[in-house]
Amino acid sequence: MNEMSKNENLDIQIYNFAYLDENTKRMIRRALLKALCIPGYQVPFSSREMPMPYGWGTGGIQVTSACLIPKDVLKVIDQGADDTTNAVSIRKFFQKTANVAVTEKTSDASLIQTRHRIPETKLKEKQILVYQVPIPEPLRFLEPREVETRKMHALSEYGLMYVKLYEDIAKHGHIETAYAYPVKTNGNYVTDPSPIPKFDNPKMNNSPAIQLFGAGREQRIYAIPPYTNVKSLDFEDYPFEAMKANFKCSICGSSDSYLDEIIVSDDGKRSYICSDTDYCKEQTKLNSKKED
Amino acid sequence: MENYPFSENSINSSIAFRSLVNATSYPGRTFQINKLNKPSVLSNAAATILITLCDNESNVYLSKEYNTDEVRNWLIFNTGAIISNKKNADFVIGTWKSLLPLNDFKIGVPEYPERSATLIIEETKYKKVKCNIDGPGIKNKLNIDLPNPELFIENNNLYPLGLDFYFTNDLEILSIPRSTKINIIKSEL
Repeated sequence: MNEMSKNENLDIQIYNFAYLDENTKRMIRRALLKALCIPGYQVPFSSREMPMPYGWGTGGIQVTSACLIPKDVLKVIDQGADDTTNAVSIRKFFQKTANVAVTEKTSDASLIQTRHRIPETKLKEKQILVYQVPIPEPLRFLEPREVETRKMHALSEYGLMYVKLYEDIAKHGHIETAYAYPVKTNGNYVTDPSPIPKFDNPKMNNSPAIQLFGAGREQRIYAIPPYTNVKSLDFEDYPFEAMKANFKCSICGSSDSYLDEIIVSDDGKRSYICSDTDYCKEQTKLNSKKED
Repeated sequence: MENYPFSENSINSSIAFRSLVNATSYPGRTFQINKLNKPSVLSNAAATILITLCDNESNVYLSKEYNTDEVRNWLIFNTGAIISNKKNADFVIGTWKSLLPLNDFKIGVPEYPERSATLIIEETKYKKVKCNIDGPGIKNKLNIDLPNPELFIENNNLYPLGLDFYFTNDLEILSIPRSTKINIIKSEL
């Protein structure tokens, strides 16, 4: 090997492929496979310290690291956007440590790491969607003790969660929870979908793609395999409703995608734009084609 | 270097793991595994599962056909895995017949259902019964042949506890996790 090629490879060679060492990957991989066998159950794993603070996707990044292959095309989004700080830095991290190709196009990606959104474009078989999860335990705010929540999951004792939803209705006339809306996976475990807007919940149900969840600080991994029943909790007389702001995107005009509200002037004038930047671009392209 | 299981450990194991993710995610469908350096008695697929997943925290039970010096030395040298009895095994490897009855393997406990055995079934020379499978990862019901389907039905009845199965044959792998529901197709008499 001559001096040039040594230097060229330096960035990659100081790390193992995709950053994590093989022993750590093995441990995560075992947890991931068991998670896929028991949809919605949170498998404990010994989460590693990552070169970023907790809350920035240390769980997601460990799952991605254990799953990446050299042929992968990686997409990273933060609240639907490819160009926000969190997404850009995680994408760069894997470009540097795994030398994988990256994309912003949902349909071109083989592995997508996401913070708080599911892409609007329908996912396909064998695509992997990795969620960054802050609090994996949906019962945590209702019952702080891990020993108890574990028992509640073991006994499928979810009365407390229904009481919480009922109290919402009693107080506000509807279920207030707008994000991280709890779901029941494969008719068994109540699962936290990570803080995605409840607008995205129906996309989890029967998805052809593989959905993996990583919570770094809380040291949990869980999964929803493809074609799995995922039901948002509700009542017969208060059925679940996926909702979004009732406006059109001011860039692409789409009325069926999830919208972000932005303040555009000092006197508080509002505008709405797609949260999914790739979808917005695609729609804008389609629109200009139609006009031609 | 050429005696190591994988020529490029990190890269090969990542590719192998992706096949395992796909197989586990889409039960009843066959996925391909690449060749590796392994003891002659093991299939490429079974050896790949062991090398990709086992380390010095893994208890491995080898049924009598596989409990040879060659397999033990290869496994311990390359992974540090612990050769164990049926009761404590995390990973189990054997032919279908040699592993029966399945009652001795751990199925997890209600608080920790993941503390259960993963069974790797080698060879396909068992009495096959036509079955129809359904459940997570299966789009439309699939027809596959299984040995003693009543045991898989029993296993699924334990859900969320239970055993997870990989069927391995040379370069092919197929999974039947505990979540898969099995219906025996009654033959017309």
